This record gives sequence, structure tokens and C-alpha cells, in this order.
Amino acid sequence: MTAAAQTKAEFDGTKQRMDPVLVGLWISLVLVALIWVAPFVFMIFTSLKTNEAVMATGAFTPPPTYAWENYTEAWGRGRFDVTFFNSAIIAIIKVPLGLAISAMGAYALARMEIAWGKVILVVILFGTMIPFQVMLAPLFTLVNSFDLIDTYPGIILPYIAFGVPYQVFILHGFFRNVPKELSEAAMIDGASHFTIFRRIFLPVSLPVLAALFILDFVATWNEFAMALVLLQNQNMWTLPLGLMSFQGQFSNDYGQLNAAIVMTVLPATIVYLMFQRYFVSGLTSGAVKE
Amino acid sequence: MQIKRSMEDARFQGWVLLGPAILIYGVFAMYPLFDVVVMSFQKWNGLDPNRVFVGLDNYRFIFTSDPVFWVAFKNTVIWTIMCLIFPPLVGLLLALGLNQNLFGRGVLRATYYLPVIIASIAVATMWRWMYDPFFGLFSQLMTNMGFGMSIPDWLGDRNVALYSVFIAHLWHSVGFSMVLFLAGLQGVSQTLIEAARIDGAGRWGVFRYVTLPALTSTITIVLVLSVINSLKAFDIVYGLTGGGPAQSTQMLALWAFTQAMQIFDYGRGGAISVVLLLITVSIVVPYLRWTQRHEEAAR
Repeated sequence: MTAAAQTKAEFDGTKQRMDPVLVGLWISLVLVALIWVAPFVFMIFTSLKTNEAVMATGAFTPPPTYAWENYTEAWGRGRFDVTFFNSAIIAIIKVPLGLAISAMGAYALARMEIAWGKVILVVILFGTMIPFQVMLAPLFTLVNSFDLIDTYPGIILPYIAFGVPYQVFILHGFFRNVPKELSEAAMIDGASHFTIFRRIFLPVSLPVLAALFILDFVATWNEFAMALVLLQNQNMWTLPLGLMSFQGQFSNDYGQLNAAIVMTVLPATIVYLMFQRYFVSGLTSGAVKE
Repeated sequence: MQIKRSMEDARFQGWVLLGPAILIYGVFAMYPLFDVVVMSFQKWNGLDPNRVFVGLDNYRFIFTSDPVFWVAFKNTVIWTIMCLIFPPLVGLLLALGLNQNLFGRGVLRATYYLPVIIASIAVATMWRWMYDPFFGLFSQLMTNMGFGMSIPDWLGDRNVALYSVFIAHLWHSVGFSMVLFLAGLQGVSQTLIEAARIDGAGRWGVFRYVTLPALTSTITIVLVLSVINSLKAFDIVYGLTGGGPAQSTQMLALWAFTQAMQIFDYGRGGAISVVLLLITVSIVVPYLRWTQRHEEAAR
């Protein structure tokens, strides 16, 4: 409280004295931020220009006329209806299911006596560090042997498997620190672990679960390498695969290509802007402990 | 009797709760990891029912006869070193700046973080368009500034391409390090900073003797995560250059994929994967040990 009051006072003080270092810092941060948003501006402007306008006008000149048809045409040529639908289905099934599985596992590892529990935890944590790109070929072979290439389960199951380590890592750390008193009272009343998990641990960890949910949604929405290997049929492609193929075919239709990028990027951006603070807490709760 | 039954019951509940996670993780993450090691000792095209054991042949091939492997290896090393220096450094500088009480810092923070949530394949597509030699952003800017004659072919020149890809990666990933550093800075004791100020320390003094030591564990985490993520570099290279021109942006993860899934030599692809895996493990295991010791010390 006092620290907050003090920084507030300092801030007010700078208004009168204008600390030159802070002003310089602010200007440079704004300049770098402008560089950071420039690609977005360039992309959005281009997405609304006709090909002639792209060639005739400068990079940061706003479009002379808004070519909205770039969006409708890119949507059709890029088969966005199909890829959008697939991405949505996969994310809607994978994210809640994966999180439930991770939460259950994390609870068991954190609060129950499990034979070899420590070893299991280390093996799972190991998974957070392993690049799955290394295993694309054996993963293809495995999914193929189940006859699940080009199916929703064939992509969702590996997605869950590679989501488990990070989520278990975060939730295990969180569950372990839930006070014993909370669960012991219920235990004495004869509640099963299922009940304790559902009635006590899930409600307490709602903010963490929300953070993980959103992080995982964006990660699933954006995933490319595994989808590239496991989804061969165009009708099963997700948005990133569709965008990649669009670039391959229509890279000279600058306006439409950029419209396609905007449409791919938009859902994740909206989710981010809506749930910004969860992102930061979800990321940092794992990596940085107070 | 009662107690024994309830214990068995608890064991049953434990396995019900943990079972799905272990099953899916075991089958779809651990088994492929095991299989890639097995594959690296076999000759297999991915279709043939027989996977022939060939001992160390695949390793011998990639180390001695594969002209691309060492190029990919060298590029991976350069890439990793760049990833170890630039994103953490820029992220730290931004975090230090944004940790001050500045006008509009929430907006600035969100701006720097925004690229992180964009699909890397979309980043690749965006930057490929920005690197367009005729109408791309960089070529236009250089023309406007009067360097129209000396525009490099950003992605087509084998001496430049790797660095062009890296710039895109830097834009994509800086926000991640920044957020971790910002969180770490929250843990720096304000009283300590005040005390140092009272003792006459300037800005640099406070940073050097208070902030920096307090950030040690954050720095370690950021560096390790940067290395791990850099070894995973796949999407962005695949989307921007596909490893070209003339393999000048080829990297181990992508080359393993290409060998197996496009050249259909699963054995050689597996051997490359194992090399990458060993590099990762040699970084990860000491780090895990370090965190464990760190946690035990904190308790």
C-alpha cells in the first residue's frame, strides 16, 4: 500500500519535473512498439487493396478503395469454411477434454498415495521439455497403425498427449499448495476422492484452469507440424494447413493472401484481447514462482 | 478390515483419476519417443512390413555421407546462439522499461505480447510477404530511403536467409521473454531498492546490485526455455523458406522431418531426431536438477 502510494507520488512528481531519463525511455518504448505493430498495419492495409493498388501505392498508404471482396474470395478459394470448421471442432473437443484429464491426473499425483507417483511425475515433466517435432515420423506410423489418419480422434489424442505435461506441471504445483484442512474435513465425512476433486479442488483452481484453458485453446488453434503429418486429406485440414496451402497457390494475389492471414489470425487475437490477464498468469505461474 | 478396504478403494480411485492421462501420454507421447530411437537403428521406408535392423548404419551415414546434416547442425547451433542472446536481451530491456510507471504501459505491454499468440505459420506467411523482393515492406522502405539498388533478396540469398528468418522469429518471440521477466521483476524487493537508493546507488547501481541478482532464477528459466524452443524451430522455417535456398536455412528438426516424411527414409530421419533429442536432454536434465535443488532449498 505504501509502496503504491509512493510510486503514485513519484509519478505525480515526474509530471512537474519531467525526469528526462523516463521521457527518453517512454519515447523509445513507443517507437519500438510502432515497429512491432507495423507488420499488422501493413497486413491489414494490403488485405484491403486490389492487386493494382498494392503495386501502385506505398506500404503504409491506406487503401484507396476498400476491396472487401478480397475477404470473401479468399474465404472461398482457401476453403475457409472447411478448415475453420475443423479447427473449431478439434479445439472444442480437445481443450476441455485434455484439461479434465490433466486435472484429474494432477490431483492424483499431488494429493493421493500413488505407487511410483514421483517417477510418474518426473516422466511427465520430462515431456514439457521434449520437442515433439522429433517424433513426427513415429507418431504418423503409430496413428496410421490405429487407422486414425485423417480423423478427429487421430489428431485429438496426440494433441492431448502433448498437452498433458505442461498442464499437469502447473496444476500439480497448484494442488499441492491447497491447504490440507480443506480436504481433510471432507475426507472425515467419508467423501471419496472423486467428490473432493470435483467439489473442492476444481472450484478452488478455477482461475488456473481458466488460464490453462485459454493458453491451450490458442496453442491448439495454432498448431501446425502435427496437423501437417496427421491430416493428409484436404477435407480434414485445419486453418494453419489451409493458410499454408493458400500461400503456395495464390501467393501473387497479395490482397487475398493477406485477407487469408487476417482471417486465420483473428480468432486467436480476439481471444487474447478478451482474456489478456489470464494469459500472463497462465504463462508465468509455471515458469516463475514467487 | 474396514481400513484395508478403504485403502484398496483409494488405490482404485487413484488409478481412475490418473489412468487416462498416463494412458494417452504413454501411448501418444512416450511410445513414439521410444519408437524413434528404435527406428534410428533400422532401415525402413514407412510402408514395408519389415523393418530391417542395420545397427549404426544410419548414424554413420548422417555423420559421414549426408552433406545436409552438418549444414543443418551448424544452422541449428547458430540459430540457438542467436535465440539465447537476442530474445532474452530485448525481452529484459522491454520488461525493465515497462516496469517503470509510464503512461500507457498496459497498451505497450499488450502490443509487444500480441505476436506471441499468432500461429507461427501465420507469422511465416506474413513475413514472407513482407520480405517480398518487389512489393514487400522491407524492399519498399529501402527504396524510399534511397537504397533501391542494394536490396538483398531477403529469403533467396543463402547468406542472408537464415538471419531474415531469425528476425521474424525475434518479432514473434520477444513478448514471451518479456512477460516472464516482468513477472520476475514483481518479485524484486521494493524495500531493497529503496535501501540501495538511500545508500546513494544510481539507476545502474540499483540494477547491477539489486535487480539483476534477484532475477537470477528468472534469467535461467528464460534462457533454458529459449534454447528448448529454438531447437523446436520448425513451423517458421517450413513456412518461410522450407529449408532453402540451397539448404541454407535447414535445421535438424526440419531435416529429420524431411528425411522421414518426404524422402521416406525413416531410419535416417530417426537418427537425426535422436541427435536432436540427445542435445535437448543434455540441456534439460541439468536444468531439472537445478530446479529441484532450488525448490528444496526454498522449502
